[in-house]
Amino acid sequence: MELVETSREALRLLVTGDAGLWQIVWVSLKVSLAALLVISPLAVCAGYLLATQHFPGRRIVVSTIQALFAFPTVVVGLLLYMVLSRQGPLGGFHLLFSQTAMAIGQMMIAAPILVAFTLSAVQGADVRVRETAMVLGAGRLGAALTVLREVRFGVMAALFNGFGRVISEVGCALMVGGNIAGLTRNMPTAIALETTKGEFAQGVALGIVLMVIALGVNFAMSWAQGAGGQHK
Amino acid sequence: MNLPSGELLLSCAGLKRSVSNRDILDIDRLDLVRGYTYLLSGANGAGKTTLLRALAGLESVQCKYLRFRDQEIDPGRYPKRLHRQIAFVHHHPLLFSTSIAKNVAYGLYACALTRSEIARRTEAAIDWAGVRSLLDRSPQALSAGEKQRVALARAHALEPVLYLLDEPTANLDGDGRELVLRLINAISQEGRTLLIACHDRELLNLPGVHHLRMTGGRLERVS
Repeated sequence: MELVETSREALRLLVTGDAGLWQIVWVSLKVSLAALLVISPLAVCAGYLLATQHFPGRRIVVSTIQALFAFPTVVVGLLLYMVLSRQGPLGGFHLLFSQTAMAIGQMMIAAPILVAFTLSAVQGADVRVRETAMVLGAGRLGAALTVLREVRFGVMAALFNGFGRVISEVGCALMVGGNIAGLTRNMPTAIALETTKGEFAQGVALGIVLMVIALGVNFAMSWAQGAGGQHK
Repeated sequence: MNLPSGELLLSCAGLKRSVSNRDILDIDRLDLVRGYTYLLSGANGAGKTTLLRALAGLESVQCKYLRFRDQEIDPGRYPKRLHRQIAFVHHHPLLFSTSIAKNVAYGLYACALTRSEIARRTEAAIDWAGVRSLLDRSPQALSAGEKQRVALARAHALEPVLYLLDEPTANLDGDGRELVLRLINAISQEGRTLLIACHDRELLNLPGVHHLRMTGGRLERVS
């Protein structure tokens, strides 16, 4: 019956608007969305350039980015921790155990996904898109924006996947955020902490929110892609 | 090769493009006179499309000189403004996945014209090509002939002086083909210059057109 009790308590926390719980949800959303907002334009540009430009070493760059998919987030956290810690090269900025540090970590985790998905979407685009834009007088930037608009569902898939990865990531957030209540405690780190404390109700409640967000994002993506493929 | 004297619109010499040591384009000289219609025939792989693409700035080519309206053009740095004067329509034209009207207006937005001018020219091009009945359709749902007409409307909106059309009637039959032929004829009647790669016997037999033939990347004049 403990499971039933825990679930009931979790739902009570959710519907009564428990301040502590919603603060954790807010930290999660704020950090992840801020990280994506900063890294997405840069990563999409990088993906586009990699897909359209040819330069020596391009293949190595593409392979490296794809290999970074498998980079453990806890190692990203470890590297960032060393860089941001007091003795590290960026220690002077005092960013360790802050939301900014968490956001930087999430940017590092999301970047390879965003770049690789955009690269693949742009490479899959019909070459006539860019050519047609150019012969109609669009410059390089105009043609690039047209191509990205034509493959917008691929780019959106990149953003949703990137968001899905960072919103549920625990290793890096724990290391560079420090899981400080009210400041850097986000959903995954709180779930990990509450579970080890035996406080399952809040863990389950946060798990529900995290799942709803993750499923909602995936649902929104498949719905948008379905609408995109529809013909009148 | 020389063509009848008149105002030269485009003139180029020593146009070359090689792939894996094979010349896919090797043209000593090409002169296009303003207001003339040129039909470019030749077997598949003869270099027709490559020539059109080179003149549209889509292929990197070597050439001794390329002049357009007495201006020397560096084909390696094809100027953006030339795209407003030289229209190129693909064999299978691509329409952007937006509305038909926005497709027609695309080049006008790219040229940063005023909103009222864009609206005026878009409406005029839509009526010119007779595609008003297609406006609420999705571009992907159009037939090949309808796509070709929208693509011609999109090019026409820019009011170019030279049209480069790559097999505009290929794979079309019936009304679709007739409507496209009518638009090509209308462009010619407007006094614009056309260079059309085609196999269409009806186009080849039109009076007053100049017939060029390509073989193995080389150009010869037939009539």
